[in-house]
Amino acid sequence: MNDLTENKMEIKNLSMFYGDFKAIEDISLDIPSQRITALIGPSGCGKSTLVRCLNRMNDLIQGCRVEGEVILDAENMYTPGYDVIGLRRRVGMVFQRPNPFPKSIYENVAYGPRLLGIKDKQRLDGIVEDSLKKAALWDEVKANLQESGQNLSGGQQQRLCIARVIAVEPEVILFDEPCSAIDPVATQLIEDLMADLKKNFTMVIVTHNMQQAARVSDFTAFLLVQVQGDPGRLVEYGDTNTIFTNPSDERTERYITGRFG
Amino acid sequence: MEVRKTFHQQLDELYQDLLKMGNLTVEVIEKTRVAFRELDADKACEIIEGDDVIDDFVVKIEENGIELLARQAPVAIDLRRIIVIMRLSQHLERVADLCVNISKAIVNLQEYTLSPWISENMDEMFRRSTIMMVRAMESFKERDTEKAAQLSVMDDTVDRINRSFLLVTNRDSEDELELIIRVVMVSRFLERIADHAVDIGEHVRYMVTGEFEV
Repeated sequence: MNDLTENKMEIKNLSMFYGDFKAIEDISLDIPSQRITALIGPSGCGKSTLVRCLNRMNDLIQGCRVEGEVILDAENMYTPGYDVIGLRRRVGMVFQRPNPFPKSIYENVAYGPRLLGIKDKQRLDGIVEDSLKKAALWDEVKANLQESGQNLSGGQQQRLCIARVIAVEPEVILFDEPCSAIDPVATQLIEDLMADLKKNFTMVIVTHNMQQAARVSDFTAFLLVQVQGDPGRLVEYGDTNTIFTNPSDERTERYITGRFG
Repeated sequence: MEVRKTFHQQLDELYQDLLKMGNLTVEVIEKTRVAFRELDADKACEIIEGDDVIDDFVVKIEENGIELLARQAPVAIDLRRIIVIMRLSQHLERVADLCVNISKAIVNLQEYTLSPWISENMDEMFRRSTIMMVRAMESFKERDTEKAAQLSVMDDTVDRINRSFLLVTNRDSEDELELIIRVVMVSRFLERIADHAVDIGEHVRYMVTGEFEV
C-alpha cells in the first residue's frame, strides 16, 4: 500500500456470516502501521462488522462465523487456539457511545493495568497520568481523579475511554464511529488526538461522516452493498487524498459526492 | 437516491454562469475583430464600456464558488469542477481585458491606414484565437480531453503569425513608428488570448482526469 510503512494487519479474503446471512464477502485490505485507515460506506455496508473482525469482537455474537484471515504481525488471529484475551489487549476498541465504567476517573484508567497484574501504586499513578495526557484529558481532570467518570461531559467521557484503551498499551486502536454521539468541538478534539496518537498506534476508524474520514485518515476503504440482501464488499481502497479528489471507481465517486446515499 | 440535490443545483447554476460568461467572451473577441478591421473607435469604446458585464460575472462566479467550497465541502468530480470553473472565469476575464487593451489601441490608430498585409494577418489571428476560445469552451462543456489537447497544436500557428509581425513591419519608417508599435502590441494581445485558450484546455484535462499535465 505504502512504500514507507509496514502493514500492521493484513485482511485476506475475509467473509463473515451471521448464521446463514453473509454480512461481508471476500474483503482483502492492508492496514498500514502507525497510520489511520478509515472505513466508509452507506449504512449496512458491513464497515462495523469488518472493524469488529479485527479484534474478534464478533466472537461474542452467537452464530457468527468467519472465513479468510486477519494477519496481525504475521500471525492469523483466526488460527484455532489463538490468544483472544491477549488480542483484545493488543487491539483496543473505542465505541460509538462513551461507556466509562461506573467508577472514578482514576479507576477507569487503572482498571486494565490492574487486570494485567500491576499493583504498585506509584506505577499505576504513572500509567493513569500518562494515559490521560496522551488522551488530551489530563489538564481537565487532574484535580478530580476520584470523581465518577460518568459525571464528565460526553466528549470527555470519550477521551476517558480512549485513555482507558491506551493504558494497556495496545498496538492497534479501533474506533467504531467514535464521534457520532458527541458535539462538534469535542469531535475536533478527538480528531486532533487521533493525529497525535499516530506516533504510537495504528488506528482504524469506522465513520458515517465522510468529511471526518477525509480529515483524519491516511487511507480510506469504501464498502458497499450492491443489491439489497447482498453482502458488503470492498469497492475501492486507496490513499485518502486520491479517494476524495479523484476516486477511480464510479461507485465511490457517486457515494462521496452524494449522488446516492 | 440523490442526497445532495440542492448542492448539485447550485453547482449547475455556477456551471451555467460560466457557459454564459464564455459565450459573452467569444462575442467580445468577435466584436473586437470587426472594430479592428474597420479601425472603428465607436465600436472600440463600446467594447471598453461593456467590460463591466464580464467583470460582474467573474465576481459572481468567484463568490458562489467560494460559498460552495466553504459550505458544501465538495469532493471528487464536484470539487474539481468548482475549482476549474473558478479558474476558467479568471482566464475569461483576462481575455476580455485583452480585448479592452486592443480596443484602446484601436482608438489610438484612428489616423492610420492599415496595410492589406496587416489587415489580413491580424484578421487571421483574430479568427484563430476566436476558434480556439470556442473549442476551449466546448472541451469544457463536453468534457472532451482530446479537443482540449488539440488547443496547443492550434496555438503554434497563432504564435507563428505573431512572430511574423515583428519581422515584416517596416522599421525604417519613423512616421509609422506608433502604428508599428500598436500593431505589434495587438498581435501580442491576440497571442495571449490564444494562450488562455490553451490554459483552459489544461484545466479541462485536470477536471476530467484528476491529473495535472502541463
